[in-house]
Amino acid sequence: MMLRAPFASRDAFAPSSDYRLAPFRFGAFDEARYVITNDVGEYVLLSRGELTAFVDRKLPTSSAIYQALKARHFLFDARSDCALDLLALKYRTRAEQIASFTGLHMFVVTLRCDHSCNYCQVSRQTENRAAFDMSVEHANRSLDLVFRSPARAIKIEFQGGEPLLNFALIRHVVERAEERNRAEQRDLRFVIATNLSRVTDEILDFCRTREIYFSTSLDGPADLHDRNRPLRGESSHARLLSGVARVRAACGPDRVSALMTTTPESLGRIDEIIAEYVKHGFHSVFLRSLSPYGFAVKTSLVRKYDATAWLDFYRRGLACVLDLNRRGIPMREEYSAIVLQKMFTPAGAQYIDLQSPAGIGIGGIVYNYDGHVYASDEGRMLAEMGDLSFRLGHVQHDTYESMLTSSALLAPLEDSLLESSPMCSECPFLPYCGSDPVFHRATQGDVVGHKAFSAFCEKQMAVVRHLIGLLEDDPSSRQVLRGWV
Amino acid sequence: MSSHSSTFALVDDAVTISIDTRAYRISAVKKAAYRMASKFTAVIEVVNEERLLLVLRFKPGVTEAVAAESTRAFFHELLDQELREHVAEETGPVRALILAQAFSKTDLIRRE
Repeated sequence: MMLRAPFASRDAFAPSSDYRLAPFRFGAFDEARYVITNDVGEYVLLSRGELTAFVDRKLPTSSAIYQALKARHFLFDARSDCALDLLALKYRTRAEQIASFTGLHMFVVTLRCDHSCNYCQVSRQTENRAAFDMSVEHANRSLDLVFRSPARAIKIEFQGGEPLLNFALIRHVVERAEERNRAEQRDLRFVIATNLSRVTDEILDFCRTREIYFSTSLDGPADLHDRNRPLRGESSHARLLSGVARVRAACGPDRVSALMTTTPESLGRIDEIIAEYVKHGFHSVFLRSLSPYGFAVKTSLVRKYDATAWLDFYRRGLACVLDLNRRGIPMREEYSAIVLQKMFTPAGAQYIDLQSPAGIGIGGIVYNYDGHVYASDEGRMLAEMGDLSFRLGHVQHDTYESMLTSSALLAPLEDSLLESSPMCSECPFLPYCGSDPVFHRATQGDVVGHKAFSAFCEKQMAVVRHLIGLLEDDPSSRQVLRGWV
Repeated sequence: MSSHSSTFALVDDAVTISIDTRAYRISAVKKAAYRMASKFTAVIEVVNEERLLLVLRFKPGVTEAVAAESTRAFFHELLDQELREHVAEETGPVRALILAQAFSKTDLIRRE
């Protein structure tokens, strides 16, 4: 009978100098710990002493930290037979979405709207101005451009104003796209971003049998929602809930999702906001801060709270959502889920605002009501404020090639690449972040922006830091968060 | 204040520090200063081959405690930046190899 040694041999505890470092980034995580990450999204928390021992080849091969670093591709040693191949495969998988090109195509079918939201980003027009509707001719030409994209999965999103005010054009675009897709055989889906106040039986009949989803806004309890989203003579909240019920009854419970926008009045009411989502049968909530465009700037609303206040709101909201899950009530916070997907899935997340190269143009593109084409939804919002930096051309006068290779697109894509941006290139959170040239153009007048002054950077760093903290230090939260991936 | 001494003086909202370039690369000094730009503006002067002089200019009215904490944080950041430079030098070829390997079977690389 052979006796198994209860302890590893002395050699196992000796520092190993024959491992090679794989590329990684690092930074302080909290007072006691550093975080190191690599290009495929793996991370490890360790002390600064362990970090320097790792770099100086002084880590014992039997130590837990050595094994963790090896398992997550931060080092290669003599027994790492296929480590390089595996790392390359993971990197290629993450990069594949860049090659798949533009998957999201936004049609602004009208700028008219029946609401007068105080944070509206698109400078909506009053309802009776037909000059702000997209023409059939522009829609057809836009569809030609949609199918020039090599993407296998195509999502056409109808935006406004309130897009249901021009439902005739939505119907036309959907039918024409479906017709073209019989030959193209793409994975074709549609989303209508709507306040649901104008839902009719005709609209629901049309959507019922098709892959058409509704994305709406629910800002919280009736008084808060109606204050944020005024609807002349009526309660927007009541109209919304009626619309949600009708969509669910006609098309199915999963056809409508909602997101919220944080106003100064929302900040102290996160528990009520999330309770409202639960009460009305939603299983996800997207906690969004105000964007620096449109009426939110004109009314100075965007300056009424800062990134620190929003982050406090977000943390309390996430805690509330996690608590619901612990009590058996399924609920997901969407922004956190996107970041977690970037951490734990091979392909990362498709969310346009968190890509490098930036998602402008090559992830999503906007066909505006007047035929102009923009590199992103925020780019057309900036144009409404007089800054045409992200206008790529016009559907009638410009070609697909000229727009997608224009300097209006290529210059900000190239300049804002995280891997070559100051501070970002060395940031440990780069794999979970993205480039937002439109935000930085709007706030700093420069598509790269100085990240030491960037609210985008401050928020993103804090969100990632908070999520890693929960994953590492709070087992019950970790269980819920991993379930969202 | 120098990188090897503990003297600290806030004069006219500015702190002057000396850096030994045998201990820290100038690229690391620049990156650390850039990262701290929301706290102070750094003016860098090369004194000689072994010494840099940095003037950290704070906003008017900064307190000595805030300036001292920012200066401490700058040196902490400088250590991290120096280590990053070391890691980048060592892992640069591996990074290039991984990228080449990742895309070796695609048609995305133009072959001259």
